[in-house]
Amino acid sequence: MLDSLFDDVKRMNKRQFIYQVLSFGMIVSSALMIWKGLMVVTGSESPIVVVLSGSMEPAFHRGDLLFLTNYPEEPVRVGEIVVFKVEGRDIPIVHRVLKLHEKSNGTVKFLTKGDNNSVDDRGLYAQGQLWLTKKDVVGRARGFLPYVGMVTIYMNEYPKFKFAVLACLAIYVLVHRE
Amino acid sequence: MTETPEVVKINKWDGAAAKNAIDDAIREVLTGDLKCKESFALIDGRLFLCALAVGVALYALLWDYLYPFPQSKLVLIICVSSYFILMGILTLYTTFKEKGIFVVAKEKVGNNTRVWEASSYVKKHDDKYNLVLVMRDSNGKSREASVNKSFANFIDSNGTIVQNLVLNEITKIYNSLSTEKKEK
Repeated sequence: MLDSLFDDVKRMNKRQFIYQVLSFGMIVSSALMIWKGLMVVTGSESPIVVVLSGSMEPAFHRGDLLFLTNYPEEPVRVGEIVVFKVEGRDIPIVHRVLKLHEKSNGTVKFLTKGDNNSVDDRGLYAQGQLWLTKKDVVGRARGFLPYVGMVTIYMNEYPKFKFAVLACLAIYVLVHRE
Repeated sequence: MTETPEVVKINKWDGAAAKNAIDDAIREVLTGDLKCKESFALIDGRLFLCALAVGVALYALLWDYLYPFPQSKLVLIICVSSYFILMGILTLYTTFKEKGIFVVAKEKVGNNTRVWEASSYVKKHDDKYNLVLVMRDSNGKSREASVNKSFANFIDSNGTIVQNLVLNEITKIYNSLSTEKKEK
């Protein structure tokens, strides 16, 4: 069985094999370029995020997929849901803007809170940080798809499963001609 | 990847595998038994386009890593648009230039260089192997012949390619296309 799996590869000549590798590379790069293209269009460094916690219930649940935009000309407003990064934390947080101070020169500072949390986010910010500014913002939520993100959550919780799926796909693409 | 003729066994119910195996057998006949020299320009062109596209994507990845997003915007725009343009060119190249040609072989006959192009296609869920063999000589004349035969004419019941049957078939077309020329 395994032998016949690699028969196709064994019979390939040099160019066919290079093409096989390149077409696998093109599948990966197409996904990458779509992602980078979305980044450019939305202005956000991460245009799609998955909600990982229940802190925004009932607005968003764990596993919801959020679409973000981050246009610099659009002002942040109280009540909007923003995704922001905190220094020293790998994973961005999705919370609602609670208070906002805007200066005439355009700089803003704001405080956020999760709808389902009893206190605001000051405890989550970096040591000594009291306010968020524009540079902390990854994007603002513009739309969502429920439950779709559960797949990514499971994949991240069971890394072995993720690698198994990825390896199977890679082998399939590399081994099969056309 | 070996030079010695080996017995090629495939799953005869897998149309794509059967087509690839017969394509390979025909290439072997043209470049081996009929002593033509394979020309790689066509496939190299495709490989070049693919490599360029992957290179552009890798460059964008590297640039975005070195200069995180808002800084890398311009480079990303250029890379993303050129990547999708390259994909378009690649599609045009395979549909209009390659047109399923899997081997181009050159042959010197006197002062004349004859170019043989073999292309093939198989419809989905069909057992008919369609082969088109085109011959062009340096005078600009071209002739073509096509065969539409079931896989069963080239593959035995075990799924083994019968090289002799392929050889006979190709030699027949080869001779008819070659001699036609002399009559004219």
